Amino acid sequence: MKKQYLLFIVLAGLLTFFCACKNETAYKTLIITGQNNHNWKASSPVLKQILDETGLFSSEIITTPDKGGDMKAFNPDFSKYKLVVIDYNGDSWSDKTNNAFVEYVRNGGGVVLYHAADNSFPSWKEYNEMSGLGGWGDRNQKDGPYVYYKNNQLVTDTSAGNGGSHGKRREFLVRTRITDHPITRGLPEAWLHGTDELYSQLRGPAKNMQILATAFADSAAGGGTMRDEPMLMAITFGKGRIFHTTMGHADEGGGPSMHCAGFIITLQRGAEWATTGEVTQKVPWDFPSSAGVVLRSDFKELTLEEAITNIGSYDIVKSTKNLSYLQNKIRSLAGDEQGLLKLEKMMVKVLTGKETTIEAKKLLLRELSWMGSDYSVPAIKALESDAELKDEAEFALSRLQTK
Amino acid sequence: MAKKSSRRDFVKRSAALVAGAFVLPQILPSSAFGMGRRIAPSDRIVMGSIGTGSQGMSNLKDFLKLKDAVQFVAVCDVDKLHLAVAKETVDLANKNSDCRTYDDYREFLEKEKLDAVSIALPDHWHGIIYSAAANKKLNVYGEKPICRTIKDGQTIVSSVKKNNIIWQTGSWQRSLTNFHRGAELAINGRAGKVKYIEVGLPDGNKGIGTPPVKPVPPELNWEMWLGPALKVPYRGVSHWDWRWILDYSGGQLTDWAGHHIDIANWGAGLEHTGPVEISGAGVYPVEGIFNVPVEYDFLCKYANGIEMRVANASRLPLGMGTTWHGDLGWVHVDRGDIISASDPKILNEVIGENETHLYKSENHWQNFVDCVRSGKPAIAPVEVAYRAISVALLGEIAMTTGQTIKWDPEKEEIIGNPRATRLLSRPYRQPWILPTV
Repeated sequence: MKKQYLLFIVLAGLLTFFCACKNETAYKTLIITGQNNHNWKASSPVLKQILDETGLFSSEIITTPDKGGDMKAFNPDFSKYKLVVIDYNGDSWSDKTNNAFVEYVRNGGGVVLYHAADNSFPSWKEYNEMSGLGGWGDRNQKDGPYVYYKNNQLVTDTSAGNGGSHGKRREFLVRTRITDHPITRGLPEAWLHGTDELYSQLRGPAKNMQILATAFADSAAGGGTMRDEPMLMAITFGKGRIFHTTMGHADEGGGPSMHCAGFIITLQRGAEWATTGEVTQKVPWDFPSSAGVVLRSDFKELTLEEAITNIGSYDIVKSTKNLSYLQNKIRSLAGDEQGLLKLEKMMVKVLTGKETTIEAKKLLLRELSWMGSDYSVPAIKALESDAELKDEAEFALSRLQTK
Repeated sequence: MAKKSSRRDFVKRSAALVAGAFVLPQILPSSAFGMGRRIAPSDRIVMGSIGTGSQGMSNLKDFLKLKDAVQFVAVCDVDKLHLAVAKETVDLANKNSDCRTYDDYREFLEKEKLDAVSIALPDHWHGIIYSAAANKKLNVYGEKPICRTIKDGQTIVSSVKKNNIIWQTGSWQRSLTNFHRGAELAINGRAGKVKYIEVGLPDGNKGIGTPPVKPVPPELNWEMWLGPALKVPYRGVSHWDWRWILDYSGGQLTDWAGHHIDIANWGAGLEHTGPVEISGAGVYPVEGIFNVPVEYDFLCKYANGIEMRVANASRLPLGMGTTWHGDLGWVHVDRGDIISASDPKILNEVIGENETHLYKSENHWQNFVDCVRSGKPAIAPVEVAYRAISVALLGEIAMTTGQTIKWDPEKEEIIGNPRATRLLSRPYRQPWILPTV
């Protein structure tokens, strides 16, 4: 008993040690919220989850005093953090806090500006230089030009008018404009974003700013400018880097805009770039394409094991997302015989599983028909006698035995 | 007209001779009288139609415009509503109510005595029905793409050749002036020696998610619609939208290969060969029953050094259509009578007497009818159609496997890739089999 107890102590100690290590290597991140014309109570925990999910960040949420409260009390020590995420649109901070933040960024601190953060602080000069473009708060020509794409040309438009608008919420296509930036490297040229506000007519100093992606504000949904409006921006300020995403309007629990894999992944990549200037994260398989919106139910990337297990419970009314994952995986393993065999074994395990539905078996048999090997043959032969699976089993065997 | 009545007399006489032995249908094909496959110019070609949905009806109407040349006597479809509309159209043209209807092509082919048949079906049915019609020695006007798999295509080509029938593919762009002219400029080197070709086909279709399973409407024989394809529940998706589902089609890519890839081959002398290496990538939907690639982009290398890029239009500088790039410039063609060139002077070039003159047709359906009469090959013969769709099918295999595919265009085999080789054919659901040649 004593020995086991000792072992437990040692293991617990090791575990604590590893956890501590993990936290220490992760970039300390501060998410600032507390006032917003948006549901910050919904969005800020989602932002934290999305960032911490990568293992790169260890974030904490700090809330400012309520509207009209004493801002002197809000005095975070920015120097403790590698990244500051602004989910805030409210009262001005104290001069002392403003100055500390400007110093932090000037000295190389990373910043993520999220959605309505670009509505905030219309008269704080440095903040507007960090955001590049902003909207509302009486912003107009005095604050800088409109910047957008029109007919694939970058336009800096100094005409008079208010800054900031959006039409009805809808799904929209986001187009990558700069493909060799660390944030956008490896992303598709265009991808469909989950239902969101399409921020338009932003204007600001637009200094040291690269527009990484735009979306066309058509007029079909109302309020469209018929311009390709900036969606993702990379800005530098002093030694600091700022990633500005206009997307992610939050509903309770995040809503489709925050569940969108495109929003999540660009936020994760943008945050890493703002912190280090590089992006080490691979583009996950489920990054959306122009073919359709991809929503992550719990903000996490599906693992191969999860996808294949999920296929086992497929029936004809369910999503085929897990199958698409499997097909992508097969493609990505092209030429890797060992990897394919490992995958095939996982597929056969589900194929022969007691809980696996008939419809799931049909899907698996179709894939095995071309990617499988001799390994699959006995399991498939055993299904030939099943009246419901006879056609698919014959299909698979016939193809597997093509010479 | 005098000749026409003489044929009727002939029919009457023949009928009288054999009366009592069996009852003849009212209209007999000319080929039934031991005249061989040649049909006198005065005789109308007796035709039937298998598949009378949107494209089938479109072809039927184009044939009926040639009213002195053809007479339709029978139609076949697995949808009773399609069948009723087709019969009404034929009866109106014939000013009678005699058009016979079938819901099973086997019965249609068994009972009808025809000169030619117009066939427009979902691609997964092409292998079986094109071959069966050829084996019945019927001349065929068949819709593109002529096959869903390379193996289906090989069987169709062999059946057509063995039975020595006239085949016309529905690649009707060949019978339009701008495409003919563009191909002729390209093949005669007016943009220089063709080195690189771009083929832009339509961007993909938006998905519809996963519609619920529904009762099959009473007019539709769903089992027969599926035929050799694996059985799936009916979700209200059959006619037209089959082209967004991989079981029946490869999407816009395969749907349009018989147009712009066919034209590309025509102007580059690639009609009777295929690429030796194919590589590229597609963008596939993550959700829903529509699973064809919505974006696709692949490069084919030919043994003679020519390269052909096939992609959805918005990925290409000139968008839709075919562009032949030579060492002196380029020539581009597309629908809407579009023909353009790097230098407008190219477009005024005259093709000399001793240069290559491509087959000229003014009307795709008339061309078929003329060839059925003359016994000469039509403008879009079967092996040429097979080479056009092969490019798309090999591109599809490269995108499905994520691999560079090596293809032997002589032996028509994939080299050194057993998995990709399996994708050259698709097993049929019992009891369906590909007819033997």
